[in-house]
Amino acid sequence: MLIYISRRLLWTPVLLFLAGLLIFSLGSVTPGDPAELMAGPRADPESVNRIRERLGLNDPFMVQYLRYISNALKGDFGESYRYRGRAVFELLGPKFRVSLELNIVSSVVALAIGLPLGFWAAMRQGTWKDPSMTNFMLFVYAMPVFFTAPLLILVFALWLDWIPVSGWSGMFSRQAVLPAITIGLPGAYAFMRYMRASTLDVLGQEYVRTAHGKGMGQLTVNTRHVARNAMIPIVTILGFSLAGMLGGSLIVELIYGIPGVSRLALEAVFQRDYPILTALTLLGSGMLVLANLVADIMYSVVDPRIRLRA
Amino acid sequence: MFRNLLITGASLVALFAIACAGAEPTATPVPPTATPVPPTATPMPEPTATPEVERESASVAPTATAIAAATQEAKAQATASAEETATASEQVETVEDSEPEPAARDFDPRAGGVFRLLGVDPTTLDPALTTDSTSYELVVELFGGLMRLTDDPNQPIVLDLAESFEVSQDGTVYRFILRENLVFSDGTPLTASDVKWSWERAALPETGSPIVKEFLGDIVGINDIVDGNASSAEGITVVDDTTLEVRIDAPKPYFIAKLTYPVTFVVSRDNIESGGGSWTDSPVGTGPFVLKDYEIGVSMTLARNERYWDRPAYLDEVQFNLVGGSALAMYENDEIDISGIPTASFERVTDPADPLYDEVVDVPPEFFTHYIGFNSDLPPFDDVHFRRAMNYAVDKELIVEAVLQSRVRAAYGPLPPGFIGFNPDLERLEFDPDKAVEELNMSKYADPETRPRIVLTASGTGGSPSAWLQAVADMWARTLDVQIEFQEVEWATFLQEIDNKQLQLFSLGWSPDYPDPHTFVDVLFRSDSTINPTGYANAEVDALLDEATTEPDPARRIQLYQQAEQIIVNEATWLPMFWGADGKVLVKPHVNDFRFSPLGGYFFKDVWLEKDVDF
Amino acid sequence: MNRSEKSPASEIDYVDALDLEARDGFIRHAWNEIRKRKLAMFSVCVLVILYSIGILAPIVATHDYTETNLAKPQAGPDLENWLGTDRLGRDIFSRVVWGIQSTVIITVITVLTSSALLGLAFGMAAGFLRGTVDIVISRAGEVVAAVPDILLVLIIAATVRPRIKEFGYWIEDNTFISGVISSGAIDFIVLGIAFLPLSWFGAMRLIRGQTLVIRQMPYVDAARSMGIGTPTILLRHVLPNVITPLIVSVSFGMGAIALGEVVASFFGIGVQPPRPSLGVMIGDVTARTGSAAVETLRNHPEQLLSPIVIVWMMIFCWNAIGDALNDILNPRAR
Repeated sequence: MLIYISRRLLWTPVLLFLAGLLIFSLGSVTPGDPAELMAGPRADPESVNRIRERLGLNDPFMVQYLRYISNALKGDFGESYRYRGRAVFELLGPKFRVSLELNIVSSVVALAIGLPLGFWAAMRQGTWKDPSMTNFMLFVYAMPVFFTAPLLILVFALWLDWIPVSGWSGMFSRQAVLPAITIGLPGAYAFMRYMRASTLDVLGQEYVRTAHGKGMGQLTVNTRHVARNAMIPIVTILGFSLAGMLGGSLIVELIYGIPGVSRLALEAVFQRDYPILTALTLLGSGMLVLANLVADIMYSVVDPRIRLRA
Repeated sequence: MFRNLLITGASLVALFAIACAGAEPTATPVPPTATPVPPTATPMPEPTATPEVERESASVAPTATAIAAATQEAKAQATASAEETATASEQVETVEDSEPEPAARDFDPRAGGVFRLLGVDPTTLDPALTTDSTSYELVVELFGGLMRLTDDPNQPIVLDLAESFEVSQDGTVYRFILRENLVFSDGTPLTASDVKWSWERAALPETGSPIVKEFLGDIVGINDIVDGNASSAEGITVVDDTTLEVRIDAPKPYFIAKLTYPVTFVVSRDNIESGGGSWTDSPVGTGPFVLKDYEIGVSMTLARNERYWDRPAYLDEVQFNLVGGSALAMYENDEIDISGIPTASFERVTDPADPLYDEVVDVPPEFFTHYIGFNSDLPPFDDVHFRRAMNYAVDKELIVEAVLQSRVRAAYGPLPPGFIGFNPDLERLEFDPDKAVEELNMSKYADPETRPRIVLTASGTGGSPSAWLQAVADMWARTLDVQIEFQEVEWATFLQEIDNKQLQLFSLGWSPDYPDPHTFVDVLFRSDSTINPTGYANAEVDALLDEATTEPDPARRIQLYQQAEQIIVNEATWLPMFWGADGKVLVKPHVNDFRFSPLGGYFFKDVWLEKDVDF
Repeated sequence: MNRSEKSPASEIDYVDALDLEARDGFIRHAWNEIRKRKLAMFSVCVLVILYSIGILAPIVATHDYTETNLAKPQAGPDLENWLGTDRLGRDIFSRVVWGIQSTVIITVITVLTSSALLGLAFGMAAGFLRGTVDIVISRAGEVVAAVPDILLVLIIAATVRPRIKEFGYWIEDNTFISGVISSGAIDFIVLGIAFLPLSWFGAMRLIRGQTLVIRQMPYVDAARSMGIGTPTILLRHVLPNVITPLIVSVSFGMGAIALGEVVASFFGIGVQPPRPSLGVMIGDVTARTGSAAVETLRNHPEQLLSPIVIVWMMIFCWNAIGDALNDILNPRAR
């Protein structure tokens, strides 16, 4: 196991390097020149060239990327093309935090809905309630945010006037409620399925039957043994859901006017702001790889069989 | 220049990543002036940002004279020819309290409160680099110069930091007297040498201002600095702390009008030298507001400048929400104080039964003309019959009414109604499907098999072109069986391609830089103009334009322009689409003195709120 | 995109569950199981209908999708326009029908190129050849999978379009083929390329896992000892056995790709007008930033809901089938 983890740890920087390279190289495929974008409309060729020099855009592609990476290691993710003179990190940092916060609350909502429902469904396996609940949650899961987000705004912000329409003031503010539900509700489906499967697993285990045999009450068995043990494997996928949601919050952030990374990211896509895109990729990939790693370790901690196998 | 900015801003908003072409007016909530402009992707080229300054100024010269003329006319209630004004304004003296007295009202303005609106990140807050409207609107709140613009069409230019100025007999030396005890927003005193320093700094190559030659290049010595041959301009002399003498290269009465533009604003040397590359994070200026807080893409807060030379602003703060979101919902939920009206809600909001109806405020019409340009050098638009066919085939009135809810007017020529030189009797190419087919059959491109591919280009980020463009394309397809393709390119590239006359067919808008037909007819259609996006060339038109430039009689001059315009319209190098019309925005009832001017822009200094808003 | 796509547990489970005894007649077995499940059966029916509508769009549509009717903009549903009209008076029903066709084309293209071709080839190569080939393919897959998927789709779609379009013009100008641009072929190629990196990986992993198991089987050893070459073994013994995981990964991927197409078109870098797409329709009525979504929902709900309901159904049905197959293959979680 240790060897496995250390091998993964060694692979991680290589993976990030290659993922960054993938995005960075796309920049050279596009026609057009970031220097022209930076110089603005109708700038003279001379000043465009000056900018090109300053950014090192005349260098060979690999040189540019290696320079970018070596600077990134020092914490300098370069300078945005669109926001002249702004460090990418300075631009991205606060927005990344907001997106992260949004995804954390959303995950909490997803867990809070998904886990009890999954447990509930598993306990009713064999009745009509189990598949009905699963299907209903799938129905919710498939609901496009283009519909949920405006619907929630219309009902809760405009008609009932309970919650502000837009903005963000931290994950514990009222503004967080609607976006968290918008992302968390469909997200609950995955948790529900895992919880259901995991609960069924536990229900089939020896010790649950033993507990019943010892004459423990149904409720005690359920809470003390089944639910608790069933939740353990869920921990391992939590990281994934966090890392994966970052993409999912794109449209939600736009509709709710949340100052997360989405606007910056889209703007960067359209304006070919590759320093920002590469930094975003490195951050996003980094999180996903980290989640992978944590999941691996968790798995071995939670499930001793894996440790033995290794 | 100034009028262009707003529209440019609108297009920048459009360019701004997602709000691409066809974006609803709400996508551009900031400039309320942008609201009535349906094609938010209506990019207005920026003549002043053109590198070829020499040719530029040549075209600006005679017309900017007209600015002075217009101003003079308004004051004197008399007609004076442009030439006369140039020589007559030996001494222009303006009183300090030049602003019109506000109309009497039942209650007085009160200080306090926060005004909230949606905004867009400015490209820059450095006055020397400001070329777009988003930046412009903020920069004029934070900084000031010797002169400034007002929202009063009768008196568009007034004194700002200058208390008065005199012009020498030959019209080349300006002596500015600054107001007493001027201070920057950080409390340090402002003297004439600060003005000199600011102008020279704007001209330095390392400042990188793309427009400094345009606005300050008339001053003797400035161009040498721009070219890197000098560090000080001999034409600017600091006589004493409040007196500045400026020598320009030729008598140019419009010089004074240029001093309203940000590149000429006064900046603080301390601020720039200590702040380095990021000095605009905490800019020090002389505007009615100071920058309190700015987080890119999140919010920007302006606070009242207590040290403003005139009566300080009423508002405590102006808060820009830079994130965006569902504008009208935010407005209804009291999260912002002003909002455009999205197309989907236009019917509802403008219905007197709707509670929002009372909050709808009319915005005076803007001067602008939106058109679809035919590049007359590229086939199939090198054939006048084909161009005319394309003109006759489009029912603009229907599009305006059905698609744009009459927020604009159907246009038939370059000059918009109400503008100097507008010709109500212009012979128009009105919608006529029969004539369209007739013209098509006369053209050499009647056969669809051999007709070249037609691509219509607009500025945007790809995706759907504006609804009205799709309607136009459908009319061409149905009346003429002419199929076109759409292409969207992002704003900077779009302008470059227009400059290079690469685009065959494009959708573009134009706003006047100065109140004179020259800004439309000459700049856009003279064969050797830098701007002329369609590459139109007609010797007869050129001759008329040449004559108009030097014609001393204003009435005759207008006539010449109208003659040229008529030829241009007949030759159909444009499909004129829209003229500005009355716009509508929503403004919260507790907001007072939020006025819109046909000159564009709005000023927060006079805005006041009846009560503080809880939020 | 589809959140279940990347979850580690599900992939592990599939491989476990591909019990070789169930191999024979699996498809018949799966079909029998699906027929027993009402929801899965319902989903299959809905998808068959939707895909038929898409394929038969020219017949099903009641109007030309570009035909504007400015006398009747933003009208509600009536007998003439079953789902009402949009801002230009175009028939929403016909546009939805053609929009479905766009989605159908892009899902089929992606499945064929990405899952079927790349996933199959790489998966079998990695699983059968092992060694360096396996490492390179698996690692490359990991790198691509690590990039946030929506971001990757948007970046690729935005960057490759100009090049592909040049190519389209070249074809139109230099060959007898015409209508490459107006048919939307360019958009489908662009989107196909954009979805390529994120859809082959899932299929590849499942197929690789299955191939690893099969290459240990006695009959493969026997074939090899008889001197039969690798390509023949792959074709005759491995390929028939990896169809099952392929179907599973495809059915899970389809919903995600349909949604991906909608998102890309929503932002204006997917399917381009005049060709309608569900994403373009949603983008048109929400001002592309989503800022007008509330207003449209309030004032003209049919304009927003018509395309959304279709997207909703597609994602729901594909996932329902995926879930059902998952259950059938993975009896442990049943």
